[in-house]
Amino acid sequence: MAVAARNDAAVRIVLPRDISLDGHLVDRALGYLTVTTGIAFAVALGVMLAALILHRARAGRTWAQHTHGNRPRDRALTFAVALILFVGIDVTLAVRAKGDLEAHFWRYPDHDPTALRVEVMARQWAWSFRTAGPDGRFGTPDDVVTLNELDVPVGRPVYLKLRARDVVHSLYLPNFRFKIDAIPGSITRAWFQAVAPGRTEVGCAQHCGVGHNRMRGELVARDEGDYRAWLARAETESRLRFDAAAGSAADAWDWETGL
Amino acid sequence: MTTDALGARREADAAVGLLVFLGATAMLFAALLLAYAVLRAQAPHWPPAGTPPLPRGLAGANTLLLAGASAALWRARRASPRGWRAAAGVLAAGFLIGQVVLWRHLAAVGLGARGQLPGQVFLALSALHALHVAAGLLVLLVSRRLRLVSLYWDFVLAVWVVLYVAVCWL
Amino acid sequence: MTAATTLADEPIPPAPTGFLRRHVFSTDHKVIGRQFLFLGLTFLAVGGIMAMLIRWQLARPGAPVPLVGKLFFASAGGVISPPAYTALFTMHGTIMIFFAVTPIVIGGFGNFLLPLLIGARDMAFPRLNMASFWTLAVATGLLCASFFVPLGPPQAGWTAYATLSTALGTPGAGQTLWVIAIYLNGASSVMGAVNYITTVLRLRAPGMSWLRLPLTVWGLFLTSILNALFVPVLGAAMVLLLFDRLFGTQFFVAGTTPGAGGDPILYQHLFWLFGHPEVYILILPAWGIIGDLLSFFARKPAFGYRVTVGALIGVVVLSSVVYGHHMFTTGLSPLLGESFMVLTMIISVPTSLLVLNWLGTLWRGAIRFNTPMLFCLGMVFTFGVGGLTGLYLADVVADIYLHDTYFVVGHFHLIMAAALLLSLFAATYFWYPKMFGRMLNERLGKLHFWLTFVPLNLVFIGQLIIGAQGMQRRLYDPSVYEAWRPLAGLNRGISHAAYLLGAAQLLFVWNFFMSLWRGRPAPPNPWEVGTLEWSVPSPPPHHNFDTIPVVVRGPHEMANPAAKPLGRDWLSQTELVEEPPR
Repeated sequence: MAVAARNDAAVRIVLPRDISLDGHLVDRALGYLTVTTGIAFAVALGVMLAALILHRARAGRTWAQHTHGNRPRDRALTFAVALILFVGIDVTLAVRAKGDLEAHFWRYPDHDPTALRVEVMARQWAWSFRTAGPDGRFGTPDDVVTLNELDVPVGRPVYLKLRARDVVHSLYLPNFRFKIDAIPGSITRAWFQAVAPGRTEVGCAQHCGVGHNRMRGELVARDEGDYRAWLARAETESRLRFDAAAGSAADAWDWETGL
Repeated sequence: MTTDALGARREADAAVGLLVFLGATAMLFAALLLAYAVLRAQAPHWPPAGTPPLPRGLAGANTLLLAGASAALWRARRASPRGWRAAAGVLAAGFLIGQVVLWRHLAAVGLGARGQLPGQVFLALSALHALHVAAGLLVLLVSRRLRLVSLYWDFVLAVWVVLYVAVCWL
Repeated sequence: MTAATTLADEPIPPAPTGFLRRHVFSTDHKVIGRQFLFLGLTFLAVGGIMAMLIRWQLARPGAPVPLVGKLFFASAGGVISPPAYTALFTMHGTIMIFFAVTPIVIGGFGNFLLPLLIGARDMAFPRLNMASFWTLAVATGLLCASFFVPLGPPQAGWTAYATLSTALGTPGAGQTLWVIAIYLNGASSVMGAVNYITTVLRLRAPGMSWLRLPLTVWGLFLTSILNALFVPVLGAAMVLLLFDRLFGTQFFVAGTTPGAGGDPILYQHLFWLFGHPEVYILILPAWGIIGDLLSFFARKPAFGYRVTVGALIGVVVLSSVVYGHHMFTTGLSPLLGESFMVLTMIISVPTSLLVLNWLGTLWRGAIRFNTPMLFCLGMVFTFGVGGLTGLYLADVVADIYLHDTYFVVGHFHLIMAAALLLSLFAATYFWYPKMFGRMLNERLGKLHFWLTFVPLNLVFIGQLIIGAQGMQRRLYDPSVYEAWRPLAGLNRGISHAAYLLGAAQLLFVWNFFMSLWRGRPAPPNPWEVGTLEWSVPSPPPHHNFDTIPVVVRGPHEMANPAAKPLGRDWLSQTELVEEPPR
């Protein structure tokens, strides 16, 4: 299906298609890093090659310059270059990253009534995703539980809280530049938002045993109307299929308290 | 160089080496204590509900034995080394026996390896410490560098006191 | 401050007799150094073969391995199965870090060179030195034994994260043997650290002040400090993991309610508190060696010696507070996350000073392109690329995407495998004459360089690209993900470059062994360099120096005008000449 993406075709030679709200911030950081480190490397390489060519030993040039490089101007030059690199690359990146993290990635939609809340249970070797259903509470018969498929609406935040049954896993959505670990004994959280409908992949990014490779799922982003239609069907099926005695019923927890 | 001067230099070298080794060992126990601190800080209650009391008395008695061994070595450095070294060895061996008694008691009351977390912490830390005591006992038997042996035992005592207080009293 | 003044008339100990005392249970640092070197080089080959097998699987998932498939993977019909694959990358990482590079650089070259470079007859504790080697040998045996236990070798990655590495995640003796082997390996390192630190503090020759030490010595000394401080932290993690595996404790196993019981993330904190200093432990000796060798082959003093030493010390200090950048996706608090990001970026400052000083050494030199120098220059190149890619991973925003992808794999291999490996080869070509009394073949050496340097870059820069495209690491079969199917061609290309890299090392093996018997006999000072090891025969006698030298100048007095009347462009650290005032 033809899908719009946040990054253009040229960038997609290197990076996956981006259908997320904030993924471009990641790409922006990657781009800045590549340009600045690329320039720094090219200059350093140029200096090195110049030295190797101009200052190689040959007839008429058998003596080097006798300097220990500890004169004030030598040190000043060295420190100046290091400072330029530090400010131009590190400081700029750090300031930007702090801003991006605090304004976007770490601004969890705790008080946003439109956010879709999803509880994720990671286990060897599958992902289960649970939404609270019409009653708004997790662990009730009307929850919609899907295995290895994350269904999300376009244009609304999707807020995830994650647990793991056995070992550490890591939920990875390449097309959203999204990654968060799922850790036994803890609840981690992250959020993202889709800006275009589409079907993208869900992966595990933390070695979790011999089945790590197979821990793949799909994310299906639907426009709001399509999503609601899908949800209505899914809720009906879930209600019919609910079995309180099944082990998976224990995979839910109260969103606020974690119990 | 005279053999005396060479011997003195070698003893000084050994002192430096021992200090580096003690630094490394201190980091080992510091990391274990850090683990203890983290687990404790993250626990909703400490000690967790249902934990039997830790055997402060028994462990305290063992502390006295270990302190005695260090004190015996201090005396050994002053005079009649043979006798005081033997005393230190006996007291150290007594500490090790006491630790074994302690561990069996812990297992019996539900503070063993599969018991509550405070017991597990105490067990792991005291077991590693006991290995260092055992190694120190071997060194006590064979080494002639009394000053350095005594320094090692002081260190082993200091680590024990910190462990004991941190796990049993705090 | 040191005992240096009494060293001058230290009696020469008698040389040992008998085959066992001279070659097996020797306390001579030169023999022990060679033992570490051979153990390390052997396991470098083993780890390298494992890498070839991993690359085979990534290039052709599920295809039977040619030649050796039936031998190693008989039960699966010559195909690498998922458990075999996880064991392969686990053991590849473990072996390369702990049983190849560490023994070669620190145990091998460190041992052989340290007393010679500072003007001593041996290490401060020769018997402890021997014990350090044999402890490593026992650890190696245990690690190898893990291949032959019923449930097979360890499979939790070289990082052995809990809870995968506990008895719940990976049952069986294999993983337990791994834990014990790592602990013993660490004990061997700490023994070595005690020895190296004491030796540098106490046994420097008269006149060998701190600022006259070769940078190689600084690298080894500072690495030993990190070893002494942080290997024990790994020891603590291993002790707790061993208790979890053997006695049923739950330090790293979570309880049923969130926050109660043990904590898998505690393992990560302990492991990386060690793990990040560990990467500096591995690279510091290489930085030192490169600093010296660039000076020697540019025929010019090392540029900014004091700034370099300051930068090395700065890295050592900072290395302890940056480890959290391995854990950005674990849900660290924002304060921790941001702090680790900033501190990690700060550590790039001393690192960039090192590189700038290397360039300063080359500038206006009279550069000789012998084989050791080619490897040094290759190291500078790959370290530049690898170091800069570290900045990507320091930025939390970029790291969320790049964490656990092949970008990380490319980054650390560029430094650990490329830069470090190239330094190791530089060191070998440089000091082989001193160790074995023969010269390695220059032509073969240069060919070895190019056939190593080019594929190294293709493999690991290729991995940077694959990682940027998003492919995760530790994947048995990337084609399970639709998104990585277009990368199949690139994966295959990387594998082909890797096979070439592996095959090229046979040149080195051939050169190494052939030159032992047929190499040109080495003069005492073939590279025309002034550090102390070149003032004794090749190889040195058991007691190193007939008389303990008295040092009067630094190690990089190349192009000193006072040498002109002597018909050369270098001054040794001990010779007395009229030097013009500075």
